[in-house]
Amino acid sequence: MQFECRDLTFTYPGAERPVLENLSFSMAAPGFNAVFGPSGVGKTSFARLLAGNGNAGSAHFVYEGISTILYSYNQERLPGWSGTGSHLDKVCPPGKEGLKEELIRIFKVESLLKSRFSQLSMGQQNRMNLIRYLIQDFDMLILDESLANVDEALRETIILTVKELFPDKLFLYISHNLTEVARFCREILILGSLDSLVVRGRDYCQGYGPDKDGLDRTMLEIMNAV
Amino acid sequence: MLFRRIYQFLIVYIIGLAGLLAIKYGMGLSDYVIPGIELVAETAGRVVSDYFFDVLNTLSVTILGQFISIVLAFTVGILGRKSSWVGSFIKVMAYNIQAYPIVALAPIIFILLGDGFLSRLLIASMICYFPLLLSVLGIMAAPIKDIEHFYIATGRMRWQLEVKIRAFENLSKLTTVIAGSATLAMAGTIVAEFIAADAGIGYSIRIALYQSDLSGILVALFMIGIVISVYQGMLESLGEQMKTKWSAPKGGDLL
Repeated sequence: MQFECRDLTFTYPGAERPVLENLSFSMAAPGFNAVFGPSGVGKTSFARLLAGNGNAGSAHFVYEGISTILYSYNQERLPGWSGTGSHLDKVCPPGKEGLKEELIRIFKVESLLKSRFSQLSMGQQNRMNLIRYLIQDFDMLILDESLANVDEALRETIILTVKELFPDKLFLYISHNLTEVARFCREILILGSLDSLVVRGRDYCQGYGPDKDGLDRTMLEIMNAV
Repeated sequence: MLFRRIYQFLIVYIIGLAGLLAIKYGMGLSDYVIPGIELVAETAGRVVSDYFFDVLNTLSVTILGQFISIVLAFTVGILGRKSSWVGSFIKVMAYNIQAYPIVALAPIIFILLGDGFLSRLLIASMICYFPLLLSVLGIMAAPIKDIEHFYIATGRMRWQLEVKIRAFENLSKLTTVIAGSATLAMAGTIVAEFIAADAGIGYSIRIALYQSDLSGILVALFMIGIVISVYQGMLESLGEQMKTKWSAPKGGDLL
């Protein structure tokens, strides 16, 4: 499994300057990787191009062993006419019921299954949305701020669970949380620097031991690259 | 909602009547030109039950005409929601046709179909169809991206689901438009009855007009206003009930 991007330049119609210019990098897959950078640097644009929502990018991406790419983002909504549990049941592929139940338990949303989506807090909404993506068939899942508004402890549990349950998938986690990205991601694509750069993260997994110096070094490396 | 509609109409009606009476007494006009309050009350006592059934007759055509136009508007609106050439063609056609005053076609309809039930029904449907169509087209053609994205990305999107999502997200707008179209359908039916018909409140108004019976016309307007207010109020209440049933759980706690 390999993922590569070659000379990607993208300009929004009517804009004077490209939001992405000559972006080239490669990432080993599978793994829990990240895209990091300041606001407005083109992280979401890049993710949308990658997921095929823009027509300019497809020729610049090279995938090996990746056929299904899904893109989930913060503030997505489930339809409001029935409870969230009913929606999860309807979109659960055959044979994934066990995984769905396990994710519901780990993501702590059991008590919310009868509630309508609009009645949930933003963090609860994002967790519910992420579950329905994780139970789909995919090779690469882009998580664009998909854990926004989730408390830090639960976010850590969710990321570690995702890494444990989906070791053969590629994740691209878009986040503004420097510590989180440095701790849990294997490779971090930094956008916003003159030359795009892939930094090696700590890639902590289940039962990790804190390595304060190593983490500080990684965070410093990311900050220098931005 | 029902009572609000009724008292809003009563306020407008009383203001209008007071204005007429002010003109009458201000300019010293006779009862023949503008009737006094006693004459209006006396006429009301004489014709109110006949007019009530005339309004119900008109309302039955209105409801049927409105139902037909709602079904048609949703059918065409759903077909025209896509940005394909068919969708664009339907949208352009709808925008252009609605700019034409449909009521001007009424004489042709009467020549072709005669002055019966069908002509009234057709005119009522046509008058409320195009404004309804434009609203439905606008709603159905606007994607709800933050909900639809998942279904499109996972290959689960079907046209029925797309329509359901867009209708649900715009339920308030749709309810308002449908309730508003009742007035248009009623106006269309009454216009049809003015021109040529042998039943309905429009037909009774035409007779009162030929007799220069303004008090009869005022009573007819009152009956029309009350009945259409009740009908619109009922439509709005129905929309509210649907919205409540769809969007809120029956017994869950607010989290």
